[in-house]
Amino acid sequence: MREAASPANSGVIYALVFLVLALTILSDAKGLPSYLSPINVSNVFDQVALVGMLAVFTTVVLISGNFDISIAAIGGLGAAITLLLVDELGVAGAVLAAIAATSAVGMFNGFCVQKLGINAFIVTLGTLTAVRGLILVITDGRTVIADDPANYKRLESFVDGFVPAPALVGLIGIALIAVSAVQYLLTRRYQGQVGQNRLLLAASGAVVLLVGLSGFPPVRLTYSTLYLFGLVGTVWIVLRYTIVGRRLQAVGGNPEAARLSGISVDRYRIVPSVLNGSVAGLVGVIYSARLGAVDPSALHGFELTAIAAAILGGTSLFGGHGSVPKAILGALILIVLRNGFNMLNLGSNYQQLVEGIVIVAAAAVYVIAAQSASQGGRH
Amino acid sequence: MAQEVGTVPCVEVRKVSKTFPNGTVALSDVSLTVRRGTVHGLMGANGAGKSTLLKILSGAHTPSGGWLLVNGQEVALSSPVVANRAGIATIHQHIPLVPTLNVIENIFLGSEGIGRLPLGALDRFQTLCGHIGYETDPFAIVGSLSIGVRQMVAIMQALMVGADIVLMDEPTASLNENEREIVFRTVRTLATGGTTFIYVSHYIEEVLSLCTFVTVLRDGRVVLDCAAADTDAEGVIEAMTGRRIDRGSARNAATIRDGAPRLEITGVSTAAGVRDLSLNVHAGEVVGLAGLLGSGRSEILSALYGADRRVAGTVRVDGRLVGRGTGAAVSAGFGLVPEDRWAQGLVRQLPIFGNVTLPKISRHSFWSIWPQRESEVATTEEVIGAIGIVSKGPHGLVTELSGGNAQKVLLARWLAARPEILLLDEPTVGVDAAAKADILALVRTFAEQGTAVIMVSSEFEELLHVAERILVVRDKAIVATRVTTETTVEELMLLADRPEKEARAA
Ligand SMILES: Nc1ncnc2c1ncn2[C@@H]1O[C@H](COP(=O)(O)OP(=O)(O)OP(=O)(O)O)[C@@H](O)[C@H]1O
Ligand SMILES: [Mg+2]
Repeated sequence: MREAASPANSGVIYALVFLVLALTILSDAKGLPSYLSPINVSNVFDQVALVGMLAVFTTVVLISGNFDISIAAIGGLGAAITLLLVDELGVAGAVLAAIAATSAVGMFNGFCVQKLGINAFIVTLGTLTAVRGLILVITDGRTVIADDPANYKRLESFVDGFVPAPALVGLIGIALIAVSAVQYLLTRRYQGQVGQNRLLLAASGAVVLLVGLSGFPPVRLTYSTLYLFGLVGTVWIVLRYTIVGRRLQAVGGNPEAARLSGISVDRYRIVPSVLNGSVAGLVGVIYSARLGAVDPSALHGFELTAIAAAILGGTSLFGGHGSVPKAILGALILIVLRNGFNMLNLGSNYQQLVEGIVIVAAAAVYVIAAQSASQGGRH
Repeated sequence: MAQEVGTVPCVEVRKVSKTFPNGTVALSDVSLTVRRGTVHGLMGANGAGKSTLLKILSGAHTPSGGWLLVNGQEVALSSPVVANRAGIATIHQHIPLVPTLNVIENIFLGSEGIGRLPLGALDRFQTLCGHIGYETDPFAIVGSLSIGVRQMVAIMQALMVGADIVLMDEPTASLNENEREIVFRTVRTLATGGTTFIYVSHYIEEVLSLCTFVTVLRDGRVVLDCAAADTDAEGVIEAMTGRRIDRGSARNAATIRDGAPRLEITGVSTAAGVRDLSLNVHAGEVVGLAGLLGSGRSEILSALYGADRRVAGTVRVDGRLVGRGTGAAVSAGFGLVPEDRWAQGLVRQLPIFGNVTLPKISRHSFWSIWPQRESEVATTEEVIGAIGIVSKGPHGLVTELSGGNAQKVLLARWLAARPEILLLDEPTVGVDAAAKADILALVRTFAEQGTAVIMVSSEFEELLHVAERILVVRDKAIVATRVTTETTVEELMLLADRPEKEARAA
C-alpha cells in the first residue's frame, strides 16, 4: 500500500490533478468560463476517446514485449474502407470489412515480428508506410464520403448521442463491487486472508456508486467516451485479474523464461498484435462515423500520442510491465494540455514544446524512482 | 610463506553497514582487513551479504554506514568508475558481458581509445591467454557461448584492466574441475606478483586451499576472521550456519527396475547438434549427465524438453508420445531448471509467487481463468520453507534476492509443480554448502516420489552423490555409461576429456 503512493505508481494521477487545478485557476483568473464546466469536460473526454482506445492496445502490445507504430495508419485504412463500402454493403458489412482488413494487417505485423524474427520497429514502420500507400490507392488520393446520406446517418447514429456521466460512474461502482464479490466468493475458502484488498475494492466501489447516484458529475458524455470506458474496463480486468494478464507479463518480461515454463510466446505476442489491428480498425470506424469524410492522412500522428500516453502511464518500452488505466490518464494529460492551451489562448506554438517536455520529464521521474527503489541494483 | 606476504593492509573495511530501501539489513558493522598480495576468502550462507560487500567495494552500492580504506587512504567509492580508477576490478556473480559483441571486444570494452579495439589488442589477448593457460576463440560472439566460457571471458576482462585489487564473486560456479584449475593457477600467479584478491565462493575446500585468510559472514555480520591455516571445512560450516551438517558421501546403487520406463527417448536429433539420442529413464531413477563445458549437456536437455526443435525421433512419457514445443512438454509432466537463472528462468517483473506458479498457474485458478492468489501464496510459502529461501516472503521481488536464493526459487517452481520428469541443469550453482546438501536430498526425495530425474552438473562429485547412473557426454552425444558405485570422479574426468588429450597427443 505504501508503494501505491510512490511517484512511480501514482505520479500520473498527481500530474493530472495538478494540471487540471492549474488550468481551472488560470481560466478563472482570466475571467474565462470555468475549465471544469460540463461542456468542456465532456469535450475533453470526447477528444481522448480515439487516442485513448489506441493507447489501450499500445499498452498491451508494449507489455507483451512488442512495439507498434502502424496503428494510426491502420485506423485510417479502417476509416477509408468503412466509408467506401457503406453504400454497397450497408453499415454492418462495411464495419465488418474494415475490421477484418485491419485485423489482417495486425496479424501480418505479428507474424513478421514473431515468426520471421524481424524487428518490430522496422516491420511496423514498413506497414505504416505501405498502409498509407494502400489508402491512397483505394481512395485515389481523394477525400471519401458516403454517397447516400441515409447510410451515413445510420453510421453516425453509433457516435451521435450522449449518456449522463453519473450513470457511467454508477456502473463503474457496480462493476468494482461485482469484482470484489466474485473474488470473495472464489476465495472464501482461504479465510483470514480475504480481508483488506477485497474490502478496499468493495468500499471504493460503494463510494463510486454513491457518487453516481448523487448525480455527480453533472456532465453528459459522448458515445465515443462510453466505448473507451468499455474497452478500458474489459482490458483492465483481463490484464489485472486473469491468467492471460500474468502470462502476458511473463512473456514480455522474459520470453525465454516464459517459453521454458511451457507458455506459448508466439500466441501471447501475435494475438495482441491482431487485436491491436482490430481496435485500430474500430477507431477508424468511429472516426469515419464522426466526420463522415475521410482523407488519406486521417488519424495522422495518433500513434505517437498513443505511445506517449502509454509512457506517461508508466508502461515499460522493454516489456513486462504496464497499466491500461494509467495509459488513459496519460492520454488525458496530453489532451488536457492541448485543450488548455487552446482555451487560454496560450499560443499553439508553445503547445508541442511543452508536450514534449512533459513526456521526457515523466519518463525521467519513472527512471529515477525505479533507480532509487533498487539503489543501483542493476546486476 | 605467511610471513613473506600479507603484512601490508591493502583494503580495510571499517564498521560498514548496508540497509536496502526495502528495509533489508544486508550488512551490519562489518570490519575486515585484506593484506596486499593475498587471496582473501569471503564465505557465508546464501543471503549472508557477500555480494553486497563486494558491490560496496566495487562502487555499485553505497554503504549506509562505516568507511573504507584502500592502501591506507580513506576512499569514497561512489561509482564503479571511481573504483576502477582506485585499481579495483570486479567479476560480478551475474556476468555483465555484452552478448552481441565478440570475446575480444568484450575484454577490451572498458579500455580507452578511438578504434573499436585498441591497437595490439589481439596480441595482448594472446599474451594473456598464454599467461593463464586458457585458449578461446577471440571472435566468438559472447551470446552464443556457454555460461562457463563467459565466466572465463569475464575473468580475462578484469585481468586485462590491470587492476591490483580484484574482487571475484563466485568465479568458479558452473566451471568444471579443469577450468577451475585454470582460474586457481591464474589467481596464484597474479597474487605472487602482488595483486590482491577478494574471493567469494561456496566451495569451502577450494577457498581454504587457495586463500591465505578467510572471513565468514552470517546474517550480515563477521563471525569468523582468521588465517586459512587456522581453520578447516567443519569450522567454516559451523561458523556459516551455526550448525554441523552432514555433507554425506553415500552413493546410490543402481536398483534393477522392471516394467516400462517412465521416459523413453528414441533417435532424437535437433538442429542444435544432438544426433540420434536414445535413452530410457525409470520412475524414481536419477540419471547424471557428466560432461565438460560446451560438451552439449544443456543441448541434450533442450532436446528432451522440446526447447530446441526436434527434427527426428520421439519422446514418450509412460508410453504416450510428447508433442512438439515446451508447452506440450510441460503438460506431459516435464520440468526444467535451466542453466542461466536470470536469462532463462526468472521474470523480474513478477513477485516470487508469480515466478513459482508460472508453469502451472492454471492449477491455482478458477476455470483456468482467474488466478487464485491465496492459493499461489500458500503454495509458495510452503516451498519457500521447504527449500529455505531467505526472502521477504512470497510477495517479495526476485530482483532483491541474493544469487543463491534466486537459484532456489527456480527449484521451488518445480517443487510446487510436482513434475513427473525433472531436468536439472546445474541446479546447485551459487548455492551454499548447507543448502546444496538440502537440494541434493530434495532431488532424492523427488525421485523417491516417482519422478524421473536427469541432472547435469559440473561437479561430478555431486552426481556421484545423487545419481544412480552417470552418462558421460562429449560432442553432444552420450559416449559412456557408468553405474555410480563402480566409478570415480577421476574416471569420469578422463572419459569426458579424452578427445582433447588425443588431439594434443596427435
Ligand atoms: N537490491 C536489493 N534490494 C533489497 N534487498 C537486497 C538487494 N540485494 C540484496 N538484498 C538482500 O540482502 C541480503 C544479502 O544479499 P547478498 O546478495 O549480499 O547475499 P550473498 O551473501 O551474496 O548470497 P549468495 O550466496 O546467495 O549470493 C539478502 O537478504 C538479500 O535478499
Ligand atoms: Mg552473492
